[in-house]
Amino acid sequence: MVTRDQGRLLQIGPTDNTSDQRTPRQRLRLIPEAARASFVPYAPARAMIRPNEADMTRIAPNRPRAQGQPIEVSGTLRSETGRPVAGALLEVWSANSFGRYTHSEDGSGLQLDPNFLGLGRIITDEAGRYAFWTISPGAYLARPDIGRWRPKHIHISVTGGSSRLITQMYFPREENNASDPMAILMGDAFVRNIGQEYDTPDRDVDQGYRFDIVVGGRNATFFE
Amino acid sequence: MDADVTPNILPATNEDTVGPYFPIYFEDPELMDISRLHHGLVVGPEGTPMILRGRVLDRHKDLANGVLLEFWQANAKGVYDTPDNAGHPDLDPWFHGYGRIRTASGAFEFKSIKPGAAVGRAPCMTLTIFSDGISRIVTQLFFDDEPANAADPLLASLPPEDQGKLIARHDGRTRDGYEVYVIDIVMAGEGETPFFDDLAS
Repeated sequence: MVTRDQGRLLQIGPTDNTSDQRTPRQRLRLIPEAARASFVPYAPARAMIRPNEADMTRIAPNRPRAQGQPIEVSGTLRSETGRPVAGALLEVWSANSFGRYTHSEDGSGLQLDPNFLGLGRIITDEAGRYAFWTISPGAYLARPDIGRWRPKHIHISVTGGSSRLITQMYFPREENNASDPMAILMGDAFVRNIGQEYDTPDRDVDQGYRFDIVVGGRNATFFE
Repeated sequence: MDADVTPNILPATNEDTVGPYFPIYFEDPELMDISRLHHGLVVGPEGTPMILRGRVLDRHKDLANGVLLEFWQANAKGVYDTPDNAGHPDLDPWFHGYGRIRTASGAFEFKSIKPGAAVGRAPCMTLTIFSDGISRIVTQLFFDDEPANAADPLLASLPPEDQGKLIARHDGRTRDGYEVYVIDIVMAGEGETPFFDDLAS
């Protein structure tokens, strides 16, 4: 894996006040080899999943579909060396089609949808594959004072053995992608975080998005 | 060639901010207190029960609300529950060493077992912070009553003025026998906690 002679200097997301308040100003320190292995948490395999969580388009089977466009998101979870990460826990959360989270701290006042919880958990299969259904989330106005929107996105947290990643899947051709602070920091690499469209003629959703996830760094493979 | 690109290595998905709304719904009580196996049981992990109490602060020394904290540590005998240590005689069947809490306010309290010293190290806990506005950052925390701190290679890699920022202070014992340690994590600015680069290292 790539090692360098100094740690990264983290960048502050433009127009993101929280990023300004919370981004370390000093360059990250390199970890001495004698301490390196201790920096790799190894999460125990725990399945905390209720039935039907992979279908976020309904709050339960036999309940109505939530408002908005039902979509499928699927892909494969791998380490940088291409090894599939099987049995990993994906925790997925997103806003509803109006841009509102069910989280108690979302004070936006945007419309709730009684048929959308916006929370799901999925375990990757033996080949590292995953799939879930949800509603295409709404964009929302993150900075009313300057008219800056958060583009449509789905949060995905990955925990599997030594692989740990929190990321977001964005959508193609969204006009707000270009002004998103985190997307700006990703630069050209932002394209990797955009789901790739595919047709879903045989499934009860309108659109599929392929989102293959690669967990970077030495941690993901526990120094294989 | 781009320094970030190594042949036959897949380009990594970009880490992104957890945002402000990590779902409280995903809380797992068994990861929020790893000092015991489960309430109502008289068996559990070996070692000294411990509470790590602290605050996560931003550049203005305001509490950083809504952060997700993950802890990782060796058991009381200094052994990490990793694949490398499978079958190790000093593994504790009731202690995996991984914990996770989300703090609404930015203040936190994590119950665990005080880690033992791993080979060549002082007792320590690895802390991963996920927060709105940033992607994952990591550091390690130590204990002020451990003589082994003086020889720890990670502490030694830091300038003297930074070492103390990673050392939790012993602050008494609860009535039910938990040793209390306290620490402030300063994410940015004056008094900033040293964070480490586990991608470049």
